[in-house]
Amino acid sequence: MKTDQGVERTAAVLGSRRARYVLAVVAAVAAAVGVRAKPEAAPGQVRQARLTRTESLSAPMKAYGSRTAPITMEVFTDYECPMCRNLYEQTLRPLINDYVASGKVYLVHRDYPLNIPAHKYSGQAARWANVAAQLGEFETVEAALYDNQQAWDASGDIGKYVASALSKSDFSRVQRIMDTCAPPGPKGSPGTVVTPPHPCEVDPYIEKDIELGNQLPVTGTPAWMIIYKGQRLPPSTGFVSWTVLKEFFDNLLARG
Amino acid sequence: MLIGRLALGALFVYAAYTKLKPLGAMPWSTSSLRISLSMFAMEVDSYQLLPAWGVNLVAHLLPPFELCLGLWLVSGIALRFSSLVTSVLLAGFFAGLTRAYVLGQEISCGCFGPGEQIGPKRLALEGCFLALALAVTIGAFLVHHRKHAAQFTGATSPAGAR
Repeated sequence: MKTDQGVERTAAVLGSRRARYVLAVVAAVAAAVGVRAKPEAAPGQVRQARLTRTESLSAPMKAYGSRTAPITMEVFTDYECPMCRNLYEQTLRPLINDYVASGKVYLVHRDYPLNIPAHKYSGQAARWANVAAQLGEFETVEAALYDNQQAWDASGDIGKYVASALSKSDFSRVQRIMDTCAPPGPKGSPGTVVTPPHPCEVDPYIEKDIELGNQLPVTGTPAWMIIYKGQRLPPSTGFVSWTVLKEFFDNLLARG
Repeated sequence: MLIGRLALGALFVYAAYTKLKPLGAMPWSTSSLRISLSMFAMEVDSYQLLPAWGVNLVAHLLPPFELCLGLWLVSGIALRFSSLVTSVLLAGFFAGLTRAYVLGQEISCGCFGPGEQIGPKRLALEGCFLALALAVTIGAFLVHHRKHAAQFTGATSPAGAR
């Protein structure tokens, strides 16, 4: 009897201590989560909070077309790379307007800013594109970056050209985030991810892309990989014209 | 010279196979052949040397040509000509690779299937193949010359000249 009473008392004490401990832990976690996710925050910041919980970069935000398309093309590019610009202007644009629009191809953009002296601003350009992508303006900003590549490559003033592509309100939202992103941005080279000295909130997404590229491996840009019905085909590097790429897609689609 | 021509022949047969074989886990079929050839066309296109029609022509003709050339070398028939064609072809490949490397093009060689980058190692290897082809060509011409010279000497050595 005495033992039973003792057990009961001990259990009560332990239970209450445990309960207090658990409550303290839950309170601490709730406080931390509460700081991160502020429902009353601006749309951009809420979306950012959602993104930080995802393990990989949200493909639909830097992708074109339908995920159910039979062909997926993942393209690793550097915004400061002239061949990447040529690929975008001469191949990807017609691809987007034709085969992406008709649901044949799902095009995914991956960032791979090269860690070379000639591409001083490529990491920062990738940051601008990723911040814009968070706000649903990736397509517009990607076009602006490539269309004006030579200009911002010479001056380093990427914001000027992003501003010309976005509305005032959209640009101010992007600018607010970019004001916290001191250059340079993340860079990639075969087998390594060069993290910047001043991290920015979009850097994990760029670094994730670089890591994916290093698994390919990307040895130069543009690099791309085609996935057909779940099957990864060997990756390729360099420019490819739309005519030749289209024929490849047609042969794949004809196979059924 | 026998080893040289057999090695070159095997090389070209292998090169043709890597360009024609189905990608991924696809089985051999006419559609997989078309896909493989159009994949090779993308690699040819990355050199940015030819217009689209030229790219398609080279991509569709080169692999079967390499296969025939490889078999021709292995057979040893008309070795002077097969080795000469091989040398010319390899010289062309070497020139293309060198140009791409000098221009800083980070592209796939396309020599033995997709995914093989152009770099110093690739260039050195292609240089060795070219050297081997030239050696076989020179050897084949020398052998042919000696054979003819010996026949000529034997024919013009009259019995009454003594």
